[in-house]
Amino acid sequence: MLKKRPPLLLGTPLAFIAWPLIMNFFYRALCRLAWLALLTGASVHAADTPRQIITKAILAESDDARIATIGSLVGQGDESIKILLAAWKEDALFVYTAPDGTRTPVQLTGEKDAKEAQEAWRVDDGQPLKDAGGQPSRLVGSALTAVEHDSNLRRAMKAVLDLLDLSTTDLEKRVRAIQTIGFAQNPDKIAALEARSKLETAPKAKLALREALALIALKDQSDDVKIAALVELKELHTISSTDFLKATIASPEAAANPKLAQAARSALSAVDNHISWVNFFGTIFRGLSLGSILLVVALGLAITFGLMGVINMAHGEMIAVGAYTTYVVQNIFGTGLALSPFGMSISFPGFHATGWAYESYFIFALPLSFLTAAIAGIAMERTVIQWLYRRPLESLLATWGVSLVLQQFFRRVFGSNNVQVSSPSYLSDNWTFNDIIFGWNRVFVIGFAIAIVFGVWLVLTRTSLGLLIRAVMQNRNMASCMGVRTERVNMLTFGLGSGLAGLAGAFLSQIGNVGPSLGQNYIVDCFMTVVVGGVGNLPGTVVSAFGIGLADQSLQQILLNPVLGKITVLIAIILFLQWRPAGIFVTKSRSLEG
Amino acid sequence: MSAPASTRRIEIIAVAIAAILVIVVLPLLNAHGFISNFTINLWGKYLCFALLAISVDLLWGYTGLLSLGQAMFFSIGGYMLGMHLMLMIGELGVYAQAGKNPLGLPDFMVFLGHTFLPAFWRPFYSFGFSALMVLLLPGVIALVFGFLAFRSRIKGVYFSILTQALTYGGSLMFFRNDMLMGGNNGFTDFKLLLGGDLRNAVPQRNLFIASAVALLLVYVGCRLLNHTKFGLVQRAIRDGENRVLFSGYAAASFKLFIFVLSALIASVGGALYVPQVGGINPSVMTPEKSLEAVVWVAVGGRGTLVGPIIGAISVNALRSWATRSIPDLWPFLLGGMFIIVVLFLPGGLISLPGRVSGWWKRRTAVVAVESAEKPAVVTTTP
Amino acid sequence: MINKITKILSVGAVALAASFGSARAADTVKVGVLHSLSGTMAISEVSLRDILLFTADEINAKGGVMGKKIELVIVDGASDWPTFAEKAKQLTEQDKVAVTFGCWTSVSRKYVLPVLEKNNALLFYPVQYEGEEESQNVFYTAEAVNQQATPAVDYLLKQGYTKFYLLGTDYVYPQTTNLVLLEYLLSKKVPLANIGGGFKKDDKGVITNAGKYTPFSHTDYQQIIAEIKQFSAGGKTAVISTLNGDTNVPFFKEYAAAGLTAETVPVVSFSISEDEFRGLPAKQLVGQLGSWTYFQSVPGKANADFVANFKKWLPTSPAGVVKEGRVTCSPMVLSYEGMYLWKAAVEKAGSFEVDKVRAALKSGLSFEGPGGKVTSQPNMHMTKTVYIGETKADGQFKILSTIPNVVGEPWLKGKFK
Repeated sequence: MLKKRPPLLLGTPLAFIAWPLIMNFFYRALCRLAWLALLTGASVHAADTPRQIITKAILAESDDARIATIGSLVGQGDESIKILLAAWKEDALFVYTAPDGTRTPVQLTGEKDAKEAQEAWRVDDGQPLKDAGGQPSRLVGSALTAVEHDSNLRRAMKAVLDLLDLSTTDLEKRVRAIQTIGFAQNPDKIAALEARSKLETAPKAKLALREALALIALKDQSDDVKIAALVELKELHTISSTDFLKATIASPEAAANPKLAQAARSALSAVDNHISWVNFFGTIFRGLSLGSILLVVALGLAITFGLMGVINMAHGEMIAVGAYTTYVVQNIFGTGLALSPFGMSISFPGFHATGWAYESYFIFALPLSFLTAAIAGIAMERTVIQWLYRRPLESLLATWGVSLVLQQFFRRVFGSNNVQVSSPSYLSDNWTFNDIIFGWNRVFVIGFAIAIVFGVWLVLTRTSLGLLIRAVMQNRNMASCMGVRTERVNMLTFGLGSGLAGLAGAFLSQIGNVGPSLGQNYIVDCFMTVVVGGVGNLPGTVVSAFGIGLADQSLQQILLNPVLGKITVLIAIILFLQWRPAGIFVTKSRSLEG
Repeated sequence: MSAPASTRRIEIIAVAIAAILVIVVLPLLNAHGFISNFTINLWGKYLCFALLAISVDLLWGYTGLLSLGQAMFFSIGGYMLGMHLMLMIGELGVYAQAGKNPLGLPDFMVFLGHTFLPAFWRPFYSFGFSALMVLLLPGVIALVFGFLAFRSRIKGVYFSILTQALTYGGSLMFFRNDMLMGGNNGFTDFKLLLGGDLRNAVPQRNLFIASAVALLLVYVGCRLLNHTKFGLVQRAIRDGENRVLFSGYAAASFKLFIFVLSALIASVGGALYVPQVGGINPSVMTPEKSLEAVVWVAVGGRGTLVGPIIGAISVNALRSWATRSIPDLWPFLLGGMFIIVVLFLPGGLISLPGRVSGWWKRRTAVVAVESAEKPAVVTTTP
Repeated sequence: MINKITKILSVGAVALAASFGSARAADTVKVGVLHSLSGTMAISEVSLRDILLFTADEINAKGGVMGKKIELVIVDGASDWPTFAEKAKQLTEQDKVAVTFGCWTSVSRKYVLPVLEKNNALLFYPVQYEGEEESQNVFYTAEAVNQQATPAVDYLLKQGYTKFYLLGTDYVYPQTTNLVLLEYLLSKKVPLANIGGGFKKDDKGVITNAGKYTPFSHTDYQQIIAEIKQFSAGGKTAVISTLNGDTNVPFFKEYAAAGLTAETVPVVSFSISEDEFRGLPAKQLVGQLGSWTYFQSVPGKANADFVANFKKWLPTSPAGVVKEGRVTCSPMVLSYEGMYLWKAAVEKAGSFEVDKVRAALKSGLSFEGPGGKVTSQPNMHMTKTVYIGETKADGQFKILSTIPNVVGEPWLKGKFK
C-alpha cells in the first residue's frame, strides 16, 4: 500500500485529500481550454464554412478522404451541418454536372412537380442553383447520381453530430449523444458535459449526464472519486453501467482497495436488481403481446371450430390470404404489382403515393384483408365444408387438402419466396419506459386484439345475425324448423371466422414473414388456444390466449431457451387437458356426446 | 363383417399371391439382375410406409381415433435403431477417417465438440438392446399418453389435436442439437448392420424381405384380431362408444391396447425404414407426415387391412413419379386427392370395384338391391 | 496382360472415333441437377436450378464440354431429405450422370453423401457450410467458415467492436460456425463475458454449445431482442447472425421496432444474400452487414458480363423460370463457377471419368469468375475472394472490404488457440 504512494506531499491526511483535488483542478482547467479551442475551432479554418467543408467531402475521391473531411467538422456548431448531413443520409444530396463539366453538389427539396423535378439548392453556399440564364433551375433526382454513404461515413457523421447533439432540442438524440460520450470514458469531455448539466432541464437527459459523468469518473486516478462515482451509479442503477461496474470489480485497484470493491459490488447488485424488475415487467408485456397475437389468430378458429364444429386445417391459409392482400394493397399504394400466375400476366397499376399517404395503406388493407379472406372462406364453405358438418374428422382431412392446394396456389401466384411487406413508421418505433421496451407494433396488437374481441362480441350478442348464428350453432335442426335459413347462416358464420383470420394475417404481415407457409407456423398454436379455452367459448379463448402467451414468455425468460419454453408449454397444455378435458370454461350441455 | 364369404376368399388369395410375389419372386429377380437395386430399395421404403398406414388405419378405420402421432412413433422406432447404426459406423466415419475421432463417437457429436459418449447412448452398442428399445420406448410413450387421454375420455377431434401437439412437441425436441440426437441433420451415413454392409445389394435385399415379412405378419395378426370378440368391441367403440360403455365394457382399456399396438407397428415400420433410406431426422416426425399417412389410408380405403397397403404404395409411387415429372403440380395432386376422396369416395380405392359393379348393375337394370346397397355399407363396416 | 491390351486397344478405338469426330459431336453428356423445386427450401434452391440451366446453355453455345453438349437431368429433392437420397440414387445408378450439381442444406448433403461414395460419383456443392468434412466425392465450391465468418469478425474487430452476440437457427451450420467463432474471438483476446448468447459446457467443462438458437420458422423474437438490447447497453456491440432465411423477417422487424439500428448495433448475417433480400423488409435492413465471396455489385468486367448475359438469357429461359426482378448472388455464382471448373477439369483429364476429373480438380485449376479468380485446391475446396458489404435500400450490397485469395479450410475446430 505505502509503496504505491507518490513520493511528494505524502504522509499527512491533508495531502491525501488535497492531491486528487489539485489534480482535478488542473484536469478541468485543461479540459475547459480544450473545449474553448474546440468551440472556436471554426475560426481556425476561417476560409472554409461548414457548407464548404461538406462540399469538399462530397467531391472527395476516396472514402477515406471523405471520412477525414467530415471528421474535421467535429466541434462546429452550424445548424447547416445537421440539415446537410441528414439530407446526405436520406439520399437527398446529388452531384449536378453542368454542361461545361463543373460538378456542383446540390440538395433537392420541396414538392415534386409533374416532371418529378424539385428545387435545387447549392450545398456550398445555400443559394438556389442558377442556370446559364440566372434563373433558379429545377432538377430531377433520379436523373442525377445520389451522393453515396456507408456505415463508416455515417459513423464519422455521427461523431460530428454527437457534440452538436449535446445541445439539440431533440431529447432522444441529446440523450444518445450524452451516453456515447459517457461510454467512451474520455476525461476530456467532462467540461462539455458539466456545461450542459447547468443548462439541462429534461430529467431524462439529466440522468444521462449524471451517468456519463460518473462513468468518466471511474477512470479517475483516485479511489475516492471512484467510490463517489460508484455511489452515484448505484443510485442511478442504469443497465448500461453493468459492464463498467464489472470491469471495476475485476480491476487491480479494486483488488487493492476492499472499499472500492465493496462499493462496486453494491452498485452492481443494485443494477442487477433493477434488471430483474425490468425483465419481470418486460416479460409480462411480451406475454400480453404474444397472447394478443394468439388471440387474434385463434379468434377466427374459435368461431369456425368452436361454434361450428368444423376442424379447419386451412385456417392458416386464410391468415395467409389476409397477409397477401396486405401485400397487394401495399404495392398498389406504391409502384404497382405485376403477377404471372399460371402463365397469365396480371398487373395492377400503382398510385405512387409517398410519405403518409403511402403509409396509410395499412388502414385500407385491414378491411380488405377481412373481405378477401371472408370471400375465400365462403367459397371454401360452399364447395367443400357444407357437405361435412356432421363429420368433423372428415372436415379435418378435406380442409388439410385445401390447405395444401392453397399453399401451392400462393407459390404459383406470388412465387415461392417470401414477399416484402414494409411496416409503416407508426408501427415500427417504440416507447421505452424505465428500460422496458414497448414496441408500437406490440402495443398496437394488444389494442387491436381488444378491439376485435369487442367487435365479435357485439356482432354475436347485439345483432340479428349474431342471434341467428347462436341459434343455429346451438341446435341446427330446431333453428331450421323455426324458419332460419341455416345454410345461409353457416355460410356467413364461416365467412366471419375466415375474415377474422384474414385480419390476423394483415396484422402478422407487420411482425413476421409473408410467404406461402405463413399459416403453417400458427396452426398448431391456434388449435391449442381454442381447445384450452374450451371449445365454443369466446371468453375461454381470451383467457387461454393470454395464459399461453404469458406462460410461454416467462418460461423463455426462465429457461433462457425459446424452444424449451415452447415444449414445456405444449406438455403443460396436454397435462392441463387431462385435468379439464373440456378446457377452462366448459360449455354446459345436457347432450351425452357434447 | 358383413362382407360375403366370396369377397373374403378373394382377398385372402390376392394377399397370398402378393406375399409370395414380394417375399420370394422380387428378391430372386433382383438377385439375378432383372430388377435394379434402386427399385428394390424404393419398394422396401413403400412397404415400411404400408406398415405406418396400417397403424393409422387400426386406430382410425377400426376404432374411430384419428391419431396424428403415428409419424412420431414411426420416427422414434427409426431413431432407436438409428442409434445402434450410428455406433456401428465406428472407424468408417468421416472424422475417424480423418483421424480425429479415436473414440468412435457419432460424427455429429465430434462436430459439436463432445469428447465422450453420453451414458444413454452406451447400451445401443448392442443390437438386441436397440431392437428392444424400438418396441419399448414408443410402447411406454403410447401407454402413458393413452392412459391419460383415454382416462379423461378425450376423443374425436380433441384426440387428433392433442396427438398433433404431442408430435409437434416431439419434433421440436428432436430438432434441438442439445438433445444429442443429431438435431436437424439427424442420423445419416450408416455403414454396418449385423455385420452386413448397408451400402451393398445383399443386406438391402434382406431388409426388403424383412419389411415384407413384417408387413405380412402384421396383416395376418390384425386380421386374426379383427375376427375375435376384441375386434367386435373395437368397432363398436368406433360406431357408438357410449353404448359400449353402458354395456359394461371398459372402453378406455380397449382403446389403450389398440393405441399401444398401433404405436408398436408404426415403430417397427420406422426401424425398418431407416436402414433402407439411409437416415432419419426430425422432419419425418412432423404432424404433416402423420396427415400424409392418413391420406394413404383414406385413398386406399379405411376400415380394411388391404386398403392402407394399397394406398401407401400407390400414393408413394405416384409421389416418386410426380416429384420427377411434375414437381410443381404435386401438392395440387396430393391435396386434390384428399378432398376428392373425402367428398366422393369415402371408401377409398378398395371400394371402387364394388361401386363400379354396383353402378353397372343398376345401369343394366338387374334387380339386385343387395349388391347395390353394399358399397355404402363398406365405408363403415368392412 | 490381355486386359491391358484390350484396354489399350479400346482407348485407341475411342481416340480414333473421336478423331473421326464430327459424326459423334452431337453427342451429349448427362449432368444431374438435384435441388428442391418444391417445399420449404424451394425458396432458395430454385434460383440455383435456374443458374445451372443458364450455365449449361452458355457452355453449349460455345461448343459444350469436349465437344459434347450438356444435357441436364433435373430432379426435385422436394425439401425432404430421404427424397434427396432417393433422387441421388436415381441420378447416379439409373441416369448415370457424369456429375451432379446440387444440395443446399447440410442435411441434404449428408443424406446424399453415402450414395455418392457408394457409386463413386461427384457432387458440386455451392452453399456456405460448416466445414468439418472433406469427402472425395464432393467438390465444395461453397464458402467454408474461414471464407465468410472469420473475415467478417476480423472486419468488426477492426471497426472497434468489443462485444459480440451470437445468434442462429438451431442446426449444424450455425452451431459449428458459432463454436469456431467462439474459439476465434477468444484467440483474438475478446473476453468470454463479452460474447453473448450463452454457452453450454459438458461434464468435463468443454464448451459444446455457444450462442442463442431458435428453431426454423421461429416467429417470436421479443425476448431475444430484449436480451440483445441489455447486452449491448454500454459497449460497442455487433450481432453475428446465422439465422436462416425466413426467420430474418420477424427478427429484423422486431429489431427495428426495439430501436436497434445498423449504426448502434449492427448485425452481420451469413445467410442473407441478394436473393433472400427480395423477401425481406428493405427499410429495416439498410446498413446491416453481409459477408460472401460474391456480391452482384462486385466491380469488374467478368461480373458485368455475367449479370448482363444472365439478364439477356432470362426472357429466353424455359417455362417455370421466374423472369422478373432477378438478382445474382453468391450460391448462384458458385454453382456457375463450379460448372466451369468441372468443364476445365474434364478437358484437362480428357475424360468424364470421375477419378480422372477429380485428379484434375485437385491439381489446381483456375477460372476467372464473376466474383474474381477462383482456384480449386487439393482438399476439394476453392480459393476465392471474400467481400464484406452492407445492405442498401435497393437490395444490393455496398462493398466495404475485399480480402483476396482466401484458401478454403474445412477443418477449423481447435485451430484457433
